[in-house]
Amino acid sequence: MILTNYVCSILLIALGLYCVVCKRNVFKIVIGMGVIDYGVNLLIVSIGFNPGGSAPIFTARELSHDMFFVDPVPQALTLTSIVIGACVTAMAMAIVIKLKQKYGTLDTEKIRRIHG
Amino acid sequence: MIQHLPILAIMTYFLGAFLTTLLGHNSKSVRWFLVMLASVASFVMMCLLIKPIFLDGGIIGYWMGGRAPEAGYAIGIGLEVDALSLFFGLLVTFTVLLSAVYSIKYISRDDAQDKYYTLFLMLAGGVLGLVLSGDLFNIFIMVEIMTFAAVALTAYRNWAEGSLESAFKYLAVGSIGSSMILAGTIMVYSQVHTLNLAQISALLAGQGLTNTTVFAFALLFIGFGVKAFIVPFHPIAADAYMTAPASISMVFSGMVNKAGVYGMIRLVYVVFQIMDVKSVNYLIVLLGTITMFIGVTSALNQHDFKRLLAFHSISQIGYVITAIGLATSLGIAGGLYHAMNHTLFKGLLFLCAGAVFYSAGTTDLDRLGGLAKRMPQTAAIFLVGAAAISGIPPFNGFASKWVIYQACYEAAAAASGFASIFYAVVTIVGLLVSVMTLASFVKVSQSVFFGQLPDEFDEVKEAPLLMRIPMWIMAACCLLAGLLPGPLSRFALQPAAAATLNIKGYIDTMMGGGYAASQMGDVTPVAELDFSTIGYWQPVAWLVLFVIIMAAVLIVALGSQGARGNKRSTELEKVDGKYATFFGGEHSTYSMVGGSDLFWGLRYNLRHYFGFLSDMHSGVVNDYALWAVTAAAGIILYMFLFL
Amino acid sequence: MDILMKALYLLIFPGLLYCSVAGLLLAGIDRKVVARMQKRIGPPLLQPAYDFFKLLGKETIVPAAAARRTFLAAPVIGLVSLVVTAVLVPVFGFSAFGGVADVVVILYLLTIPAVAIIMGGAASGSPYAGVGISREMVTMMAYELPLVIVLLAVGKAAGDGGVTFSLSKIVEYQQANGPLITHWTMWPAALAMLLVIPAEIGSHPFDVAEAETEICEGALVEYSGAPLALFKLSSAIKLYIMTALFSCLFLSGWGTGIVAVDALILVAVCAVIMLICVSLVRAVCARLKVEILFRFYWRVVAVLAAISLILAWLVG
Repeated sequence: MILTNYVCSILLIALGLYCVVCKRNVFKIVIGMGVIDYGVNLLIVSIGFNPGGSAPIFTARELSHDMFFVDPVPQALTLTSIVIGACVTAMAMAIVIKLKQKYGTLDTEKIRRIHG
Repeated sequence: MIQHLPILAIMTYFLGAFLTTLLGHNSKSVRWFLVMLASVASFVMMCLLIKPIFLDGGIIGYWMGGRAPEAGYAIGIGLEVDALSLFFGLLVTFTVLLSAVYSIKYISRDDAQDKYYTLFLMLAGGVLGLVLSGDLFNIFIMVEIMTFAAVALTAYRNWAEGSLESAFKYLAVGSIGSSMILAGTIMVYSQVHTLNLAQISALLAGQGLTNTTVFAFALLFIGFGVKAFIVPFHPIAADAYMTAPASISMVFSGMVNKAGVYGMIRLVYVVFQIMDVKSVNYLIVLLGTITMFIGVTSALNQHDFKRLLAFHSISQIGYVITAIGLATSLGIAGGLYHAMNHTLFKGLLFLCAGAVFYSAGTTDLDRLGGLAKRMPQTAAIFLVGAAAISGIPPFNGFASKWVIYQACYEAAAAASGFASIFYAVVTIVGLLVSVMTLASFVKVSQSVFFGQLPDEFDEVKEAPLLMRIPMWIMAACCLLAGLLPGPLSRFALQPAAAATLNIKGYIDTMMGGGYAASQMGDVTPVAELDFSTIGYWQPVAWLVLFVIIMAAVLIVALGSQGARGNKRSTELEKVDGKYATFFGGEHSTYSMVGGSDLFWGLRYNLRHYFGFLSDMHSGVVNDYALWAVTAAAGIILYMFLFL
Repeated sequence: MDILMKALYLLIFPGLLYCSVAGLLLAGIDRKVVARMQKRIGPPLLQPAYDFFKLLGKETIVPAAAARRTFLAAPVIGLVSLVVTAVLVPVFGFSAFGGVADVVVILYLLTIPAVAIIMGGAASGSPYAGVGISREMVTMMAYELPLVIVLLAVGKAAGDGGVTFSLSKIVEYQQANGPLITHWTMWPAALAMLLVIPAEIGSHPFDVAEAETEICEGALVEYSGAPLALFKLSSAIKLYIMTALFSCLFLSGWGTGIVAVDALILVAVCAVIMLICVSLVRAVCARLKVEILFRFYWRVVAVLAAISLILAWLVG
């Protein structure tokens, strides 16, 4: 079951990379960047997963040795990473809007005034 | 008190960024006060750390919120400052300070300055946080803050040609790198279930290399490679350096790519301790050599001042990476030395480019010319920077490059068979790159500062004093760093180089004494650094002599000529045909060789290669991403094959 | 006392006075011999020296378009760096600054005179100088690659298993094992070095940068009076340094031990080397185009040097 997660996350990352590398539309590249992020986030959560574990919500008093829960650290990391991803996407969108205003196109083949 | 300084230095920047947004919206003076306060305070805090760390050889470990390790597991977020971190921390705060002073005048004509300073301080905090952090995930966060601020600052002058597209390219390729770092981080976590660098280092050394570890290493290595802009991740850097304001370009080349270099050093030497594996050495040296060669040859092809400097920046980082990849004491010391020098002279050159842009309004080499008459100080400073980056004695570039050549050739002598020839070729490429660097700076000085002054720039004025001060400081540092390699090496470079090998000390400071020994089995002893072969302290005597003689002769020459020159009015010069330049009978107003035609002979012979370079930097973001992904795949494959 | 000694070195013996005299003498011999080869009588042997003093007395004109300070400082910088280089090149067994005589330093110092010419030319603001410095630049990149490889090859051959960057070590090795020219592995490198010398000093057929007949001496076109005299002196000193460097790299290891005699012998050896690689070539060849020159150095000379380097690795 956990294997499905890994495969899916790798697929997502690969899809995202495909998007960034092959799609000529700036929007789709931003989407691709997002998809890579989701893939990595899925990977993080999957690594912290313990089959049969409960949610890591407890107070210090309830903590005992026979408790079995999933690793909480990766979940915290995922949250942080999602926030960062949202910031990056917002920034990318702002730049895309400006690009559209200035260049009048979203085609990467035409947004190449700096080259050589 | 002393152990709180690192976190305070970082928080000063972030707090400054926050307050600048809050209070600096309307008032210029409040804004300047906040920015200067934050940058000076952080710089002073870093300087206060020099004594306990560089001189006394200490390492400062700090747990946020006082959450020390429990039951042998690091549960808090740690900061750890050893000599290596401090070395880069000093570079960062110094660059930020000078850039802040420079910015005051340089961006005074732009609007939304509070946002500029907010992002600027965020960038500074991000990089400083990265180099002082002792936590892998925190490093990722700082990388993201850094990239975020850097992209926003690249797009800051969005009226300028190309700034938006280069920001977008930077963001797209940079985020691939960030994702790699995150994926690598979590791979490491899956192996050792901790994020603390010191503990990771101890546990990984105990475990040995597994497939997952190799994969994690490859991912992290690529991630930091993207952040250090090594080839083939470099086209985004060339674009970003070119279009960002010059004060930001200076920060980029002075510390943002250093952050990548730092990450790489920390990774290969401390966290994974992988530098005794020959194949990793070869890979890093190969990447470094390719970086320096492609960087400099692309620079020969450029016709924009800042873009040319950007490619040189890439090329010089290649030197640093090469030296670090050699994994000898001489190599590490040379690499760090060159990293520092690169911050100095490249910052200086970017500031010169900024001054030219501020005064003349363009950085196009084909349009500029003859500015030395209008901006004599900028021209003089530029010559210092150009001499330093081309490695002309007695400036700093010469000393560090010399150490790097020596390190390369010694590595060649120590190795056998194929490896020795490889390192010998690396030495030759290094020397050749140096000559090409010189050549392309001749091109810049010819097309910007010398030659004939076009009429449109007749009214150009010297850059304001506030912009010249940081430039003069950097120029002085370039000379000092070249003349005093001895003290520098004793008090900064050797501690920093030793820190890369003092893994046990690094672990025990964070995790408590004896932890390294308990986890790693036989603790790798602190490798003895042999600095006896460092030859760079020898030439000081005659370098000083050289300077004195040169200065004396210059004073005599200039003095006598100046006296004669005073009698002759410039009006007379204009009227009297005797003082006109020789045109061979036909009168011509402006017929200089264009900047891009200056290497015609070279470009004609290597036209296929230059054509390839031109195609490589196509300007299409997909192509850049493709380069990055392909290189990443190649590096991962290499790691799996040879580790 | 130490400082006095160093000043003496710099100003008198291997430094300014000695290398100026030697350089001007060599230049005179060169002109005389080439003239004889072309069935001319040629100028007197001391003509370069006369020219130098004559130029010193002429008026210095700085063009209105020039960046004055750089224009005037360039010849001085070039001369000083050449004098320092001359001090670093050992005279057979004798070297003024022993441990410092490093190949990399010399390599860098040798580029400075070329850069000084380029800077001066650029600062003069003349279009002819623009063409001249463009060619000078390409020439420099052309010969620098083979020169680097030659120096590394010699360093390897004289390194006793390792590699040395020190000229004094190279000389010591030759004292023990005979001149390097007697090692067959070094022959291609010696040939390459012989071909580098004329380009380095900018003599025919590699004088594309000056090319009096096309671009009026290129970078030097605006110079007159004392600065021009300094440039002329520099090029004469360069003649001495390059030939002395050759003799140090390949022909060293003997000598009488008496410094004064050695110095005279060195000048004689330099003259012979110069006759082979400068005068002879100059008398019989026509000037190359710059792109052909570049191709020649990277394809032929560099390969020659590389052969030596590889042979040195394989044999040594």
